[in-house]
Amino acid sequence: MGYLRDIKQSFKLKYSITYFILIAFLLAMIGLNAGGMLGRSTIGLLSRIAYSIIMAISLNLVVGFLGELSLGHAGFMCVGAYIGCFCANQLHAVINSPLMVLIIAMLIGGVCAAIFGFIIGLPALRLKGDYLAIVTLAFGEIVRNVFKNLPWFGGAMGLNTKTYKPSSLFIVAFVVVIIVLFLSQNLIRSKHGRAVTAIRDNEIAAKAMGVNVTFYKLLIFVISSAFAGVAGVIYGHFATPVMYSFFSYNYSIEVLVMVVLGGMGSLNGSIIAATLITYINFLLQDNLSGDLAALRLLVYALILIVVVLFNNAPALQKYREMFSLKRWLDKRVQRKAETVVDDSAVWNRIPTKIPMDEVLSVDLRTEEALPAQDETGKEGFPDG
Amino acid sequence: MSTLLDGLSLGAIYALIALGYTMVYGIAKLLNFAHGDIIMVGAYAILVILNVTGNPWLGILVSVAVCTLAGIIIERLAYKPLRGASPLAVLITAIGVSYFLQSVAQLVFGAQSRPVTLPAFPKISIAGAQISAGTIITLIVGALIMAGLTLFVKRTRTGRAMQAVSEDRGAAQLMGINVNRIIMVTFAIGSALAAFASLFYLMQIPSTSPTLGSMPGIKAFTAAVIGGIGSIPGAMIGGVLLGVIEKICLSVPAISAYTTAIEFSLLILILLVKPIGILGKKRRVKV
Amino acid sequence: MKKFTRMAAIVMAVALLAVACVGCGGNSGGDSIMIGCTGPLTGDASSYGISVKQGAQLAVDEINAAGGLNGVKLSFDMKDDKATAEDASTGYDALYDAGMKISLGSVTSASCKAFADKAVADNVFAITPSASEQAVIEKGDNIFRVCFGDPDQGTLAAKELTKTYTKIGAIYDTSDSYSTGIYTAFEAEMKAENKTFTVQTFDKENNKDFSTQVEALKDCEVIFMPFYYTEAGLVAKACVAKGVKAELFGCDGFDGIKSQLDATVTNKIRYITPFDVASTDSKVSAFVSAYKAKYNADPDQFAADAYDAVYVIFEGMKAAGVDNASISASDLCNKVKAAITDKGFSYTGTTGTMTWETSGACNKVPVIVDLSK
Repeated sequence: MGYLRDIKQSFKLKYSITYFILIAFLLAMIGLNAGGMLGRSTIGLLSRIAYSIIMAISLNLVVGFLGELSLGHAGFMCVGAYIGCFCANQLHAVINSPLMVLIIAMLIGGVCAAIFGFIIGLPALRLKGDYLAIVTLAFGEIVRNVFKNLPWFGGAMGLNTKTYKPSSLFIVAFVVVIIVLFLSQNLIRSKHGRAVTAIRDNEIAAKAMGVNVTFYKLLIFVISSAFAGVAGVIYGHFATPVMYSFFSYNYSIEVLVMVVLGGMGSLNGSIIAATLITYINFLLQDNLSGDLAALRLLVYALILIVVVLFNNAPALQKYREMFSLKRWLDKRVQRKAETVVDDSAVWNRIPTKIPMDEVLSVDLRTEEALPAQDETGKEGFPDG
Repeated sequence: MSTLLDGLSLGAIYALIALGYTMVYGIAKLLNFAHGDIIMVGAYAILVILNVTGNPWLGILVSVAVCTLAGIIIERLAYKPLRGASPLAVLITAIGVSYFLQSVAQLVFGAQSRPVTLPAFPKISIAGAQISAGTIITLIVGALIMAGLTLFVKRTRTGRAMQAVSEDRGAAQLMGINVNRIIMVTFAIGSALAAFASLFYLMQIPSTSPTLGSMPGIKAFTAAVIGGIGSIPGAMIGGVLLGVIEKICLSVPAISAYTTAIEFSLLILILLVKPIGILGKKRRVKV
Repeated sequence: MKKFTRMAAIVMAVALLAVACVGCGGNSGGDSIMIGCTGPLTGDASSYGISVKQGAQLAVDEINAAGGLNGVKLSFDMKDDKATAEDASTGYDALYDAGMKISLGSVTSASCKAFADKAVADNVFAITPSASEQAVIEKGDNIFRVCFGDPDQGTLAAKELTKTYTKIGAIYDTSDSYSTGIYTAFEAEMKAENKTFTVQTFDKENNKDFSTQVEALKDCEVIFMPFYYTEAGLVAKACVAKGVKAELFGCDGFDGIKSQLDATVTNKIRYITPFDVASTDSKVSAFVSAYKAKYNADPDQFAADAYDAVYVIFEGMKAAGVDNASISASDLCNKVKAAITDKGFSYTGTTGTMTWETSGACNKVPVIVDLSK
């Protein structure tokens, strides 16, 4: 019941706007598709975007909210894809409805990936930072290696699956995206979510406040793996055969790139970045055919470096503000809403010994003006 | 016996790459994912010089120069602007640099792997197993480089400055150490080691391709973590251990297909028993 | 925060809508018949894809220069699939949207299975130059191949080796479907003949150092190596380093191995191949010199297969009397399929004389080339 109450409380318009957009988008796509307005490649792209978004959200839970670096997220996707699709292949003989099979397969894939998440999370979360990163990377490689060699999954030939029509798969995939987003947002905004962010911000402090660190770390890890597993099942039904080679650490890193570019800890950001990166990749593939294809990796690498440098380099702070979309939008919106009246002249007429700027920087309602804080002491060294 | 020797020589390559990782990580606190690709750059440098002049010694010299230069340029352009930014941002630029180097190599040299013919070494017989003298040279040079590096870090001014930067960058800066310069030197050394690694790699596996560096890079990184990242002898031990285990697994037909899984499981096991690696230094977290 | 959410939402809406505007419309096509193909143009396997692209492009250019197909020009487009199924599937869609009428499938087997799935659904004719896995042509009756099937080569190799040798060794790549496919058939045939052999494996993604495998096979008289020439070259060099003198026996993937060897390799090397660069056959030498003139490199078997595949499509269309670029892909598929599987149809190209089964398999006579000659 407590969980339901949490949902009720957290349901506000500003949180739900993402859903509206996603649902509107999905409906628009279904409409366009029914009208035959969508090209084949667009429909295929939609499914790819959907599983990328799920992966990005899933990894963002670990990287953005839990604050642990995982470089092996493709491993969980691999587990989900192989086991889920394997089960789906068996289920097609028993169950007649392809949609039902897909749903069951996604559940199975999600649960299996979650189990793996638990198994790997239990010992791995004792480690921190870069050590955890390398363990997750190792896990990803182990999973790939093992699934490749197990006799039931097709080995080097890959696991053949029954593919669904892309025009119906993308609808299912986007519904899953919405469900995943819903679950993640509510998790984050619940008291559990706050405990998780507390761990990210300061683990020792969180522990001191009585937060069960291990439990929450595992919880997030398991949930995140489950989502990745579901994404894997969607992937497996998008393109057959499921090949172990797809789930290499390169893919884990691509997802990480989505999360970081979108902003760690921002689910909306993850959605945007996953969409954009999948789209860019698609555009590059679509437009650079033949000889130019070799440029794809180059362009991708350059975009990556430039964007990260621009977004993060301390020296570029000034330019960042100059070109900030957010700031630009804020300005537009604010200027209309509240016109700031320059009343400094009025204030300056009041006789006072304290310089005006300092008074303005503290709460004016308090009687005593606080002395300005010495900010220089806070300026950290590059390392922080 | 011969498996062991093969493992040692493969391990020496991993160890050299791991040394580069561990230096950069220990001092600059960044996972230089492009390190493996610097090895690829070094390998192509050797290939070009060999094809043009046919002189392997010149090839090594040029390769060291090219790698060092590449390391410094990468540090200057891609990492230095991000000093003070979140480590993840740096990690992603490193990945970007890695992709960048790979694609440039493909554009320049083509995707095909190209054979490299280094002068053949005489064969030596040890305990009934035939082994190339190259293997032994790899091992000896690896050990020498490790010893030299340890001495350099412990004894010289620059080396001690490196230790200081590694310990506390802010404090080092206050003590008058030019942190940017020290980090640049670290990159230069790490990349020069990568050039040696590429030479030994080519002695063992005489062919180059644009993606040559990525898998050895990951394996060597694993080796560095096994040995305790930031520790120079640790990287050596980790590398050799990993090489030997890889070769032993490969020589047993029943498990040879699972070699990669076993290697990485070993990493997880070691980290579970000793979360800081074999020779890692424990750092206290201050509250 | 609120503003940020709103902003983020706006940006997201824009991004998603931008996606929607990618491409509309169906398979229309222009005034030429477009041949589509996907293959790895970047990444580890890119040399195969690039060879196929160059071989096919050369054939298309030649055909167009000679007046095209009854006056209709051909065009060729190839999308990068990085040897993955999902990119092959996306590549197919992009090609279909761009008006692909007929195709060369994909270069690698896994990709080609994804490609074939879609090609079968749309009834688009596909003749793959190099996807040799058996499952590829089993996808549907409009999927054909120019290369040998994997199992055929394995069986043939086993028969050939047991003729002369008793101590037989084999190495194969567990991560590659081509290698595993051939090896499985080889193993089955050896079992059927009651012969024993030693086997070693590797995984080309993870290890390229063959010292251990060669060491284990040092007593063999012959080593069967069903994989591509880059790895084969490394095995040969490892043999030199270990002083192993065994004969190296390979399949069509060995083609191009010469570029990987140097004077130190003295082992006898033989391989099954439909294509030999050094052949004096007039078709082959014309192709080799044209290829060299255009790309400044020797063609390999991938390029030759792709070159032949384009000509097979061309001959098939000619036999079916296609003279119009506006024909639908499905009609074209039915016509070419009927023409190619016709009893009287055969094509002699750079990889020999070929006829096709209705299953999509290609019959051609394998040649065993001895490199030392």
